Amino acid sequence: MTYSIIARCPHTGRFGVGSTTFSIACGRRNESVRPNVGVSKSQAFYLRYVDPLALNMLAQGYTPQHIVRTLEAGDPDFDYRQFGIIDRENNVVAHTGPGCGKWAGHTVGPDYAAYGNGLAGPQTVAGIVSGFLKHPDAPLEDRLLEALEGGRDAGGQASKGVPRPERSAWIRVVDQLDHPEVDVRVDLHDKSVTELRRVLEEFKRYRDYYKARCAHPGEAIPEEEFAAKLDAKAA
Amino acid sequence: MTYSMVARCPRTGQLGIGVASYSMAIGLYCDGAVRANTGVTLTQGFPNPRNNYLAINLLALGRTAGQALTELIGNDRDSEYRQIAMVDRDNDAVAHSGANLRKWAGHRIGKACVAFGDGLAGQQVLDAMEAAFEAASPAGLDEQLLAALEAGRDAGGMAGAKGRLPERSAALIVWGNRTHNEVDLRVDLHDRAIDELRRIYVDYKPSIAYYDERARNPRNAIPAMEFADMLKNQRQKETA
Repeated sequence: MTYSIIARCPHTGRFGVGSTTFSIACGRRNESVRPNVGVSKSQAFYLRYVDPLALNMLAQGYTPQHIVRTLEAGDPDFDYRQFGIIDRENNVVAHTGPGCGKWAGHTVGPDYAAYGNGLAGPQTVAGIVSGFLKHPDAPLEDRLLEALEGGRDAGGQASKGVPRPERSAWIRVVDQLDHPEVDVRVDLHDKSVTELRRVLEEFKRYRDYYKARCAHPGEAIPEEEFAAKLDAKAA
Repeated sequence: MTYSMVARCPRTGQLGIGVASYSMAIGLYCDGAVRANTGVTLTQGFPNPRNNYLAINLLALGRTAGQALTELIGNDRDSEYRQIAMVDRDNDAVAHSGANLRKWAGHRIGKACVAFGDGLAGQQVLDAMEAAFEAASPAGLDEQLLAALEAGRDAGGMAGAKGRLPERSAALIVWGNRTHNEVDLRVDLHDRAIDELRRIYVDYKPSIAYYDERARNPRNAIPAMEFADMLKNQRQKETA
């Protein structure tokens, strides 16, 4: 059980993924996004090699549609896999095999795919999409988090009719550079999406300071001084 | 205001990083820092975000850790603000601590490992990290890295102008011979990040084999919820 959104920002071309699940540390799947190449995020009964393989194929020039056929041809258990892929030209595909259990499914838009398994029902995926579309001009990381919150508020995950908590959550956004612009995680928490909101908001307060510290280290003030200034401003 | 251990396990060839910092989401800065069968590196202090990728690319080209380190320093006008460590697949371990890092800063090179940090209480932090890393050797690289972080914390950890600084984020990363990590756990913002990392690790470790098996054999997989309940019952029995 997991639900995710993968997207390409229509304004900046940045790629991102937002994901939350019952399992621990969903953000360890950081191989799923590659700058200037695309996103491939697999889940349900996922094979870890699939995302790097799909991204390598995207980088070679294959289309997401062709990659799906290749994955299907090479995998006798393809019916148990769920994934989505987006490339640089906004080609979006998603696959939910019939073996992914109830309820599982996906919705594909012009620059995103929302999908999950072990969900309360289709309303969870609808919630992800409406969260993502709520502020179409906002930065991608904010839209991804709103998508996860939308999925959670629409019912999130359930197994045998019993709601299941989101214990880990993750957002990653890459721009053109090798290193991620945003990568925030909650690995084990009773309300990981709520906690992820706290972490992301805090990260946004520090982000410019961290960037400047790397680029112009000679001018950086000590971080604890910066933190004290932030706190004074907030008070 | 960060301390880390980067290491290669000479027995298994696994590569890994244990890192703790006063800065939040320190695991973000470990991106690109490991490649299977190639090496492990990390730049901290006032990190240069290019360095991890360049270092791994150089190791993949066939450069030694020592040669790659020289290249990184030559490529960066602010190298005196960077702290860099690297271990290559021949177990060669190297490090650079620039003159302009926050004091106390330094590194300690061990067997296929480097303990290094800046804004620390002192040399004793690194000494304790390496001793704990060596002592935990039979338990495997993940345990060794976590033990090193705990020892660094217990030896005084980080200190600013007004005294001790808390570990607000931490990460534990281990790669085997695959194209993805084996362990990649993070605490991004917490008052006691290393304690929290240990808590997550203890819960996560038994599930690694489960998720591997479940992907390879989905038709016979135990549902994730059932597996979680099994673990919980087992733990309750153990603590009872």
